Amino acid sequence: MASLTGAGEFPSSPAIATGVAGSREQGAELVLQCRIVDGRVAEARFRAFGCPHLLAAASWLTERLPGLARDALERWDWREAADALEVPPAKFGRLLTLQDAVRSVARNWPGPAASTV
Amino acid sequence: MSEVIYLDNAATTAADPRVVEAMLECLGPAGDYANPSSVGHPAGRRARARVEQARADVAALVGAEPAQVIFTSGATEADNLAILGAARFYRERGRHLVTSRTEHPAVLDACRQLEREGFEVTYLKPGADGIVEPAQVDAALRADTILVSLMHVNNEIGVAQDVGAVGALCRSRGVLFHVDAAQGAGKLPIDVNRDCIDLLALTAHKVHGPKGVGALCVRREPRLGLVPLLYGGGQERGLRSGTLPTHQVVGMGMAFHIAVGEMGTDAARIGGLRERLWRGLAELPGVLLNGHATRRVPGILSVTIDGVEGEALLYALPGLAVSSGSACATTSGEPSYVLRALGRSDRLAQSTLRLSIGRFNTAAEIDAAVSAVHDAVRRLRAVAPVPRP
Repeated sequence: MASLTGAGEFPSSPAIATGVAGSREQGAELVLQCRIVDGRVAEARFRAFGCPHLLAAASWLTERLPGLARDALERWDWREAADALEVPPAKFGRLLTLQDAVRSVARNWPGPAASTV
Repeated sequence: MSEVIYLDNAATTAADPRVVEAMLECLGPAGDYANPSSVGHPAGRRARARVEQARADVAALVGAEPAQVIFTSGATEADNLAILGAARFYRERGRHLVTSRTEHPAVLDACRQLEREGFEVTYLKPGADGIVEPAQVDAALRADTILVSLMHVNNEIGVAQDVGAVGALCRSRGVLFHVDAAQGAGKLPIDVNRDCIDLLALTAHKVHGPKGVGALCVRREPRLGLVPLLYGGGQERGLRSGTLPTHQVVGMGMAFHIAVGEMGTDAARIGGLRERLWRGLAELPGVLLNGHATRRVPGILSVTIDGVEGEALLYALPGLAVSSGSACATTSGEPSYVLRALGRSDRLAQSTLRLSIGRFNTAAEIDAAVSAVHDAVRRLRAVAPVPRP
C-alpha cells in the first residue's frame, strides 16, 4: 500500500471545519477536515475506515478541495471522484460517504472571525 | 521463496508434481489418453485400468469400496447429485432435510432448489465456535426427514464437525447422511463406514490434485437410490453420464494416493505452521480467532482484525495471496454469512482474513506473512478515524 496523501488530522483550531460521514458498522467511515483561510479551503486531511476505493478517493479529495469555497463544497458531487479514479459501479455507494463528508464540512464552515486565521 | 506467498490453499492448491506427472502420462499421443469406456481395444483397456486404479485410491482414503466411487466434475456436482438425487428419489418417503447455515453454497443452493420443489429444509445455527452439536441434529429430525447434510470441515473457518456422531445418529434414525468433505478429505481422517456416511462428496483440487474432478461415494449396502443430474452414455453406473476425463481422474487418484501415505506428516507440519502463524498474528491487538480453537483442520486460519476493513487489508497485502473470506463468496462484497451465523457483527465479519496453508508452504513464508500483516494493519489503523464513543 502506497502512503496515502492527506492522511491525518489538524490540531484543534477555530479555522478547522470537520465533516463526518458513515460508520464502521456500515463498513465505511470518513472524517474529513479542512483548514479554511480567507473563505477557501487551504488544506484538507482525512481519516477513513473502508474499502480501498474509499481510502483512495479520500486521499484524492485532499488534493482536490484546496482553493474551493463553501458553495463549491455544498454542490460537490461524488461522481467527480468516480470519474477521476475510474471507480467501478459496485463501489459508487461508498463514494456517497465522501459526498456526505464534504457537505458536512460545508455545514460546519467556521464563522467570519475564524476565516482569516 | 516465490514473489507472492500463496496462503490461499483452502481456495485451491497447486498440483503436486507427482500428480502432474501422472496426468501427463494420460494426455500425449504416446499416453493413456483413450476413452476408458472403449474397452474393445488395448488403449481403451489401459485407460480403463488407470481409471480403476484411481477409483481404488480415492476409495482407500475414505474407507470405501472402489465400486462406491462415482467420478464427477468436482465437489459442487457431487453435493448436488447427493442432495438433489437422494431427495428426488425418496420424495415419497418424506420431504424434509436438515443442514446447517454454514454449509458451502453447493449445499445451501441445492437445498434452496429443493425448497422450490416443495421440500422443507431446517437450517441449524452453529454455536459461536462453529460447531453443530449432534443434539441439535437430533432435535431437528422429524418423521418425514429423509436427509441430513453436514460438512466435514468448514471452508471459511476450518472447524471440523463431529460427523461420526451425527452419522451414528442418522443411521439409528433411518435418515440418510451426506457429508461435504471437500476441505477435510486428505487433511483429517474420515471413513464412510466408521462414520456412517451414506453420501460423501470429494474434490481433488483442495488436496494438491487437479481442478475439474471430484467424486461422490455412494453407500452400496443396502443400495441407495439417486436420481441422476445428467443423462447420456450411462457412465458411472448410470449416475453420471459423460466420458470420463482419464487424466483428471488419474490426477485425483494420485493426489489421494499421496494423501493416504502423507496425511499424518503433512498434518503435523502444516498444523505447526498454522500455530506459528496464529501466534504471530495474535501479537496484534484486537485479533480474534474464528471457530473452535482445537476442533479444526490443520491448514485453515480465520482471524478477525478489529479496526481494519477486510478488502482494504487485502489490497494492502500485495505480496500475499490470501482471502477476506471464502473464494466462493469474495465476489459478493457482502459480509461472510458463515461469520454472521457464528454471531460476528457485520463490522467484524468484514474485518476478517482467511489464511490457509498447504503442503508447499515454509516457515520462512509464514514469518514473512506475519510481518506483512503487522505492517498493513498498523498503516490502516493509522488512517482510520478514532472510534467514537
